[in-house]
Order: sequence, then structure tokens, then C-alpha cells
Amino acid sequence: MVTRQSKADALFGSSLIASTVIHLAVFLLLVWYGRLFPAQINLQETYYVDVVNLPVAAPRAGSPVQRGHAAEAPPPPAPTSRMTMPALTQPKSASKPAQPQKAVEKSKPAAESSAEFAERMAKLERKAESQQEEATFERLRRKVSATGSGRSGMPGAGGSEAGSDYSAYIQSRLKDAFRETISYTSKSPEVVIQLQIGSDGRISRKKIERSSGDRAFELATLRAIDMASEKFTPPPNHKVFEGVFVFRPQGISNSKP
Amino acid sequence: MALLTGAGIVVKLVLILLGLFSVVSWAIILFKFFQVHRANGESERFMDFFWKSKRFDAIASQVDRFANSPLTVLFNEGYGELKKVVETDGKSEGSALSTDLGGIENVSRALRRATNSEITRLEKYLTFLATTGSTSPFIGLFGTVWGIMTAFEGIGKTGSASLAVVAPGIAEALIATAIGLVAAIPAVMAYNHFQHKIRVLINEMDSFSTEFLNIVQRNISGK
Repeated sequence: MVTRQSKADALFGSSLIASTVIHLAVFLLLVWYGRLFPAQINLQETYYVDVVNLPVAAPRAGSPVQRGHAAEAPPPPAPTSRMTMPALTQPKSASKPAQPQKAVEKSKPAAESSAEFAERMAKLERKAESQQEEATFERLRRKVSATGSGRSGMPGAGGSEAGSDYSAYIQSRLKDAFRETISYTSKSPEVVIQLQIGSDGRISRKKIERSSGDRAFELATLRAIDMASEKFTPPPNHKVFEGVFVFRPQGISNSKP
Repeated sequence: MALLTGAGIVVKLVLILLGLFSVVSWAIILFKFFQVHRANGESERFMDFFWKSKRFDAIASQVDRFANSPLTVLFNEGYGELKKVVETDGKSEGSALSTDLGGIENVSRALRRATNSEITRLEKYLTFLATTGSTSPFIGLFGTVWGIMTAFEGIGKTGSASLAVVAPGIAEALIATAIGLVAAIPAVMAYNHFQHKIRVLINEMDSFSTEFLNIVQRNISGK
């Protein structure tokens, strides 16, 4: 009887081990299967991607207005690599206006030495080169002043489309967040909020400037701002952004400070 | 995998507990499967051998071959008791009838005792299967409720009720119920299956007991 009992216990022990092994195997199989075919639950990543704000990632490839703008002004050459390229190609075009001069020189009866001629040519080439450089710089300067002056926009963007302008970008983010949090108890509530966004992209100040007195609506706007501020990109050129936004149930409008 | 690692501590504990339940219940299922399978097979062969043999002592010498059958235990107990009765009978030389009846009573009691101990042995651990089958869905449900509670707390904090925020927490929570069911379903099925098998074995033991007593009585009265 005793031997039988111990035999049974041994049998139970071995089946316990077998069961553990089976469970581990099934678990590993599931893990392996999960690796092979990972579940697509990354909903949060896709959530904030919307068509309006896509130009934010590449402002220059943005709306048709921006493209038209880019067509007006030729694309600025990159300062390091392309600056030398026109210098190499330019002498050929510069040599054309130099041709008549050359003819005039040749017509001169005086015996000009070839060394002097070479010096002249070099001088002319240098002049053409410096002119070309000047023109490029001028073009760049014009470009920068067209975009960087006055309002703070995204670098390289001149349009007033959403995404090309930082305040429009903020507004659109706020609109997205506001859609989730919106709630109000009065008929036509309105809240005006002043926002200051520091150079690190965080809200440094938010102040309710004017409110229609709907507490629920105020809370909703503040929560929308908190939600949206998690994903703000810093303002361009490390500036501090300030803006006044008018929140209404119909939407958010941006009133310039 | 992310479902498991992302879950909260309570949900994780519930999952571990359910995993242990599952491991132990499967161990019991395997153990019982072999035990009952052997008991059935060896009982059948023992019965064949029993009816072919003419003498109890011949059977008793061969009985070790069928050590896993509950019938052999019954036979051993009955045969041992019968031997004792016959020995005392030979010594005392009292009134034959009363001793015979008393002897049969003794053998019957010994068989009943052996039957009971065999039933206990066969039903050992089966209660755990029943417990797993009935409680692990509830444990899983507890984990799910807890997970959903924490998920809703998170939703309340972020203030957003979009599907993207709600869905992962609930998916994490629901896995507890899923694993509870995975542990419970085989346990319940195995419990019912083994209950049936053991009932068949108990019937066999009962009929063997009566057969054994009949043979003993026939032999004593025919003496």
C-alpha cells in the first residue's frame, strides 16, 4: 500500500512537470506567434495625424499657395554645397558679355602681351563671380525677409494656411483637442484665453481674458489646452509665442494680440 | 505580449494565480488520465484472469501483475481476511455455522473498507478540478473588473473618452477573463469525464465484492 502510494505520488509529480512544460510551451508559442503577427493596437499614434497639419512636418511642401510662392522666387541654394556651383558655371555665361570687349581689345593695334590679357580676363571673371554671389545672397535675403518678418511663422513658409503659421498650428491642435473635451451648459458660451508658449514648446502662461461665465465650458477649454499642449512643437526660431484664442462651441478662432 | 506586460499589478497577480490553477489542474488531468486508464485496463485483465483461475491462492500469487487495479486491492483484502477467518476457524473448532456466517461478515466488511479506501484514492485531487472549474472564471472576472476600474480611472485623468484611450485598458482587463475560462473549461470537462469513469470503477468494485462473497459462501457451504 505504501509503495503504491509513493508510486502514485511520483506519477503525480511527473504529470505536474509535464503540465508545467506544456504550459510553458503554449505560452512561448503564443509569444512567438505574437512576434510574428504583432497586434495593431497603436491607435494613439495614428490619432493625431490629420491632413490639415501634415504640412507642419514639411512646411515647404505644403499648400498650393506655398507652391506658387516658391515658384515666384527660385529655390534658395543651399549655402554650403551649392554656393560653389554657380561660380563654376558662371564664367561661361560671363565670358559672353566679355566677348565684345575682347574683340575691342583685339582691334587695338597696341601689342598687348598675353599675360596682361589673362590678368584682365581673371579680373572680369572675379567680377562676374562676385556679382553672381551678390545676386544669390540678395535672393536669399529677400526670401528670409519675406517669411521671417512680422509674424512668427514656420521657417520657410510664407502662406497663411494652417500649418504654415505657428499660431494656426496651435489653433488646429487646440481644435482637435477641444473636439474631445467640449461641454457647456449655457446657450452660447465664449471664452477668450491668452496663451504664452515658451521656446521649449511648453505653455508658460495661460490666462482667461474674458469668459461668458459658463464654468463647464471654461473647464473644457482648459482641459483641451492641457491635452493639446502635450504634443506642441516648440515655436520656430526659439521665440516665445503669444496668442489669444477665442473658444466657442462652433470652433476656435485666433484673434491677434 | 503587450497585453500581459501592460496590465496592472492586481491583474498580473490574477493572471499568475490563474496560470498556477491551470498548471495544477492539467497536472491532475494527466495524472488521473493515466491512473484511470491503467485501473480500467488492469481491472479488465484481472477479471479475465480471475474467472479463468480455479483457486484463490493461485490468483493471490499472481495478483502483483495487476497492482494498479482497484479490484486487486479488494481481492487482497478479502483474501487476507478470509485466510485469517479460516485460520481462527481451524484453531477454535466452534460451531461451524456461526463461524461461517461470522467469517462471511468479516470478509464483507473488509471488502467494504477496501472499496471505500479505493474510492478515496481514485477521487483524490478531483476536488481541485471542481474548484478550478467553478472558481477560476470568477477570479478572471475579478481581474477584468479591476482592470476596467483602473482603465476608467486613467480615462478620467486624461479627460478623453476616445476609443484609443479606452480600448487598450479594456483589452488588458479582458485577458484575465479569457485566461480564467481557459483554465476552467478543461477542468470542468475533465472533472465530469473522470467522475463518470470512477463511477464505472466503483460499480465494478461493488459487483466484484458481491461475486467474491458469493464464491466464498458457496465454498464454505459446500464444504
